[in-house]
Amino acid sequence: MGAQAGVSPEVEARLKGKKAIRSYARKLSDPEDISGLNITPMMDMMTIILVFLLKSFTSSAMLVNQDQNMLLPSSNSRLNAKQAVAVTVTKRVLLVDGEPVAPINSGKFDPALKRDGADGYYVTPLVEILSRVARKEKKVAEMTGQKFDGELTIIADRHTPYRLLTEVLYSCGQAEYANYRLLILKSRE
Amino acid sequence: MTRRQVRARMRRMKEKFDEAEEDTGEINLVPYMDIVTNIIIFLLASVVNQVPLGTVNASSPTFGGGGGGGEEEKPTLNLTVTVGNSGFTLAGSGGVMPPIPKLGTGDYDYVALTTKLTEVKNQFKDETKATFNADAGTPYETVIKTLDAMREDKDGHMLFPDIVFAAGIL
Repeated sequence: MGAQAGVSPEVEARLKGKKAIRSYARKLSDPEDISGLNITPMMDMMTIILVFLLKSFTSSAMLVNQDQNMLLPSSNSRLNAKQAVAVTVTKRVLLVDGEPVAPINSGKFDPALKRDGADGYYVTPLVEILSRVARKEKKVAEMTGQKFDGELTIIADRHTPYRLLTEVLYSCGQAEYANYRLLILKSRE
Repeated sequence: MTRRQVRARMRRMKEKFDEAEEDTGEINLVPYMDIVTNIIIFLLASVVNQVPLGTVNASSPTFGGGGGGGEEEKPTLNLTVTVGNSGFTLAGSGGVMPPIPKLGTGDYDYVALTTKLTEVKNQFKDETKATFNADAGTPYETVIKTLDAMREDKDGHMLFPDIVFAAGIL
């Protein structure tokens, strides 16, 4: 647009200036101009994935660390693991809920730890600890109006001799735990 | 209006616009995104490494006033499977069955055990209980495999799923 006839250069400069300001103001408020990426939907998606993963992580009842002293046997059983008092028999130590109870040497307990000596089945520290746990569980069952089911999860190394296993099971029985869930690795079919 | 005046006006306008945007702007979610992404990667890695765990149910014999349950009137089979050094031995109320020897490779013949137990099950359809016993040195892995062979046949039909460990050992 050229300078109109009869308009002073001063007025023309003012008009030009106002026009430039108007177009700048239009440019600033233009909604088509994207200044940043909207990450809110992605956030929603991430949060849902996080909640799902946390849920599936916590619903797997048991986590067992396997190493050369603790290798679980595999089985075709379809029963899922359930949360219960865990008695772990590794090659070197016996544990109750992760707390060491008695050492194991060459697949045997120290005879001094057994009430009836080397040939006995009664492993004194195991019975003592499990009796304490059973008392606590009974009290909880009583308060919640449930029945004490005497259930125990046995986590044992695949090479554990049957004699040692029997001693553990016998001692568990003495502490009123008579139902066992033997933890295994599910063999993939 | 001089050029300088126009620029000054534009600058003021921009400052006002930025201020207004800051006032109504959203919170910065990027650090939160970083944290969430890291946790997801960690969780995914641990879920992938997780091994599927299951259980085999068994119980110990109940002595005295224990809650064994069940009606006493029915004649019981009293099936006992024993794992010995030379193979499996099956015994019941009626007597002892011929032993199932180990295979030539030195492994226990789990297939033969299941076949034999299927025959027994066909005669005692309601029976689900069996007693397990083994030699002192029998490894736990063999115990589990034997319990597997006792629990169901190759078609998935239940044989003797209620396993009771015998009192004492061989």
